[in-house]
Amino acid sequence: MSEGNHTDAPKIRPYITVEELYLDNCERLSLNIINSNASFGRKIKEQELHRPGLALGGFVEVFTYWRVQIMGNTEIGYLNTLHGEERWQSIATVLGFDLPCIIVTNDNKLPDELVEIANQNAITIFSSPLSTTMVFHHLSEYLNRIFAPHIVVHGSLIDVYGVGMLITGPSAIGKSELTLDLIERGHQLVADDAVHITKISPYQLQGSPSNVLTHHMEIRGLGIIDIRRMFGIRGIRGSKNIDVVVNLDSWDDNREYERLGVDDKTTSYLGVDIPLVELPIFPGKNITVIAEVIAMNHQLKQHGENPAKEFNERLISTMQSKALKRQQSETKGGL
Amino acid sequence: MIIKKYTVQNKLGIHARPAGLLVKTSSRYKSSVYIANEGNEVNAKSIMGVLMLGAAYGSEIHIRVEGEDENQAIVALEELIMVRKFDEE
Repeated sequence: MSEGNHTDAPKIRPYITVEELYLDNCERLSLNIINSNASFGRKIKEQELHRPGLALGGFVEVFTYWRVQIMGNTEIGYLNTLHGEERWQSIATVLGFDLPCIIVTNDNKLPDELVEIANQNAITIFSSPLSTTMVFHHLSEYLNRIFAPHIVVHGSLIDVYGVGMLITGPSAIGKSELTLDLIERGHQLVADDAVHITKISPYQLQGSPSNVLTHHMEIRGLGIIDIRRMFGIRGIRGSKNIDVVVNLDSWDDNREYERLGVDDKTTSYLGVDIPLVELPIFPGKNITVIAEVIAMNHQLKQHGENPAKEFNERLISTMQSKALKRQQSETKGGL
Repeated sequence: MIIKKYTVQNKLGIHARPAGLLVKTSSRYKSSVYIANEGNEVNAKSIMGVLMLGAAYGSEIHIRVEGEDENQAIVALEELIMVRKFDEE
């Protein structure tokens, strides 16, 4: 197993602003801005969310104030049990910290003091009609994606029969030509030349094109072409999880290549292992068909079938019964 | 031309992994290499051919080598079959 060939260290986005959080989620979470004096430039640096229930109760020793604060029925319900100076003090203590923003769920009616102090301290309060669980679910998924480590890999990503295939290899080996050939045959381009890879979970990588290149390709001798315009919407795809890596290399007479497919090879990007197929190529070899077969073989393995292993198991059992018969006949012969 | 006779020593017979080793070893030499079992002879540089033989434990195989480096080839093949027993023991 080897770490895939990319030179850049993984990048992690340092922060997003409250404004970005709002713009990306206002529709999905139906967010309303409650207070008039809101500071949209505050930074969110962590994917975790926090419910400040205990902090409202006065326990602020381990208060993770730098996280997005979610106030649900519990928090608002608790504040409603407090009165006068007590309620003011509780809110002022929590909002005295440098919070990025507060999201109140279930369209809870906010105590006047909360809005007043938020205005004084310029802390944005959003209100959402969704339940706390739903808000947590949506925002965790969103922030997890925002703060996921990512790298840029030299290669092409294409969806072949639903299998995300990352094609790598040295420059001018024919990655783009293979990709173009696959698009011609009805498969979908995700990215060519530079693939943005994001670790969306401990065992999942997602690839997407760069915002600049989108679905353009460079073909040597021809120049830049627009795949979307040429092949239409069916020829492209926005993003795709990477299922298998196909590494192209020139045929080397002195190298030994995989002949069996009984052992699974892997490579890794961002610490995620991905099945690897090393494909030696030479002029005139039809690698497009092989790429399609790699995708189908991957699908078979995903469905618990390993043709090479099963073939071998059948062969072994045939040979063992042959060996047994020979042994028996030899014993008889000896008597 | 060299022809040598061996008995398959590894318990599982020449299944995928040993066949792969046999093909890899044979392919390192310029000589033509053939392997025969129960009257069938196949090219020892072809994985599917070697698997088709289904040479079981205890069966007899004949290795036939022909070419400029046949002496080196038979030494390497003999070591693989008889000494290393396909790295399976």
